[in-house]
Amino acid sequence: MKVTIKNWNAIAQWRWDIGKEFDETDDEDLCGICRVAYEGCCPRCKMPGDDCPVLWGECGHVYHMHCIMQWIEQQPPNKQNCPMDRKPWITAERKTANTATQQTQAVQS
Amino acid sequence: MAGIASRRLQKELKEIHTQGCPVGIQLLNADNFEEWHLSLEVMGESQYQGEVFALKFRFEPQYPISAPAVQFIINEKYKAPVHPHVYSNGHICASILGNEWSPVLSVIGVCVTLQSMLASCKKKERPPDNDRYVMHAPDNPKKTRFHYHDDTV
Repeated sequence: MKVTIKNWNAIAQWRWDIGKEFDETDDEDLCGICRVAYEGCCPRCKMPGDDCPVLWGECGHVYHMHCIMQWIEQQPPNKQNCPMDRKPWITAERKTANTATQQTQAVQS
Repeated sequence: MAGIASRRLQKELKEIHTQGCPVGIQLLNADNFEEWHLSLEVMGESQYQGEVFALKFRFEPQYPISAPAVQFIINEKYKAPVHPHVYSNGHICASILGNEWSPVLSVIGVCVTLQSMLASCKKKERPPDNDRYVMHAPDNPKKTRFHYHDDTV
């Protein structure tokens, strides 16, 4: 059988590299504060992506930057803790350099 | 702009409708994103066997960054449980509703915590300062600076 490709479209999908394999059924791929997917944006933003990034704590918990910052900013200085484990929140700077991973797949049509 | 509270509460509501509430907890009223009512019952053997309580949640536009105001409803149908952390006006002295609130908590999460607070109660009694507190208590329990009692009750 001979197939001639007449036309093809490339589709790209992106997601934040949160340090583990992607699992569509995993509820934990939601920001615990706003309950929106990491790849979505926080309730104050309209477009996901670089304008609404995610932030890692040294503790390993991940939130939308805007969500965790809003929480930290309204806490007294001695209680600026990670909402999950209540340990002092320290942003893991080194992880933010390598943000998005891309999966590209070509779809034939 | 739609407040962050309504977006988050919409998600919680959807979860309740698709997954249901934990045993003993029922949604009575969630017609808006300012105030919800839920009923609460302690399952199994406890001091509160056969009693059903109702909780009122009031949300500020900044929920879940700001904690909800939570209290037991008192009316013809419901009474506040007699518990060392529950005042006779329905106000609750629980640190998770005050300085230990976390934005990853939810309405159902709070209900479950209060359910287990009741379940572990050994002796039904009012807080020692009940009368003094109730006489001067503000309408909204969030305006009270509670001194948290021990965590063992």
